[in-house]
Amino acid sequence: MPQKNYTPHYEHLKNKWTEKHRGLQRRLWEKHKDSLEWFAKQTHHLAAGSLAGLLFLASPSGMTTRPTPSVQVLDESIDKSAFLISDLQNNLPKDVRPLLSEEEDRIGGILTERYGFHVTAEFEGKKLNRSYGLIGAEQHLMRYPGDTMATHFATAEEVGKYTSSGMAPGRGAWGYFANSQAEMTEQDSMREKYYIAVQTFLTPGYNENVREYSQFFKYRKMLVVNPQNGHAVIAVIGDAGPAEWTGKHLGGSPEVMKHLERVDGSQRGPVLYYFVDDPGDTIPLGPVNVK
Amino acid sequence: MKTYFYSHIIETESLIVEIEKMGLSDEQKTHLIGLIESNLHHVILDAILSELSTEDKKKFLEHVAREKHEEIWGLLRNKVDNIEEKIKKAADDLKRELHEDIKEVKEKD
Repeated sequence: MPQKNYTPHYEHLKNKWTEKHRGLQRRLWEKHKDSLEWFAKQTHHLAAGSLAGLLFLASPSGMTTRPTPSVQVLDESIDKSAFLISDLQNNLPKDVRPLLSEEEDRIGGILTERYGFHVTAEFEGKKLNRSYGLIGAEQHLMRYPGDTMATHFATAEEVGKYTSSGMAPGRGAWGYFANSQAEMTEQDSMREKYYIAVQTFLTPGYNENVREYSQFFKYRKMLVVNPQNGHAVIAVIGDAGPAEWTGKHLGGSPEVMKHLERVDGSQRGPVLYYFVDDPGDTIPLGPVNVK
Repeated sequence: MKTYFYSHIIETESLIVEIEKMGLSDEQKTHLIGLIESNLHHVILDAILSELSTEDKKKFLEHVAREKHEEIWGLLRNKVDNIEEKIKKAADDLKRELHEDIKEVKEKD
């Protein structure tokens, strides 16, 4: 019998069991919160991601990847992050591959619910070549003509954290963020700080409508999530890349990579990246927590 | 499939067989089986934690995190009467619900 006929069965069970799962998560946390919080706090190498790993070992995909170790200070949102990680582990495939349409929708729903604003893999009829892929490290971009590593950072702390990433020799795909240092706004600065590079050139329909697609993607706001630790940032598409041969699917600015706790090279890992539906431009760029 | 400390006393085959009969894609089957496993994991953790003192909960969580199955069972058998039966009961109650859910969708044909 054709598989399609059984999809309603799947949808029904998936929805019912996902709801049940959330109820069980909630109950477990409410009943044993003190012990679970103690556990996360007393093992300094375990934070939100690892707590989720402890509690939610079962993964439908058989995924054995452990959450990324973190030294972040625990806060009250730890339980919420753990739930997010669990939900994502329960819905992501074992391999880092393009998500199926139904997977994209399901995960988009989870992210929308957990973060409290609407995200989607397809926006205004356009979508990227993928919404789940391996992220690599990008360099800082020149924000205006003459911007250098000496002028790039606002604080000594930033210098310490991000100087080693260096600055890309050329401009981003859309040129400078501002015409000059004097004209640079806070928005320009934040866009460079929290940017990702995506493979716009591989998106369906791009080659037939380069101008239209280029304008659409320029500084388009996106939610980027590390599914293994629940860290997320709101970023803009600030550059095009990386090339297909790199094996990477997108790149993140030094600040994005730092917050997501993602690294390049052999230890690189996957992220989810979805369009943020923010018509009023009210959602600020930078790190974002589950609600 | 990953082996958990309770895998030897909890069977999920009866549910998996029912899922297999539904003619779903591999992705769909994998997802539903994952939800079964994860739901079971939660009720089993809840059943165990509900039987332990605060101090023993901490020891248990540490053992689970490090996947020290022998230590887990050593602790549980020492601290909780009939722990295997309690785990099985919690799992069976949930499995019964899940079987009912499957039966319900099949009856819609």
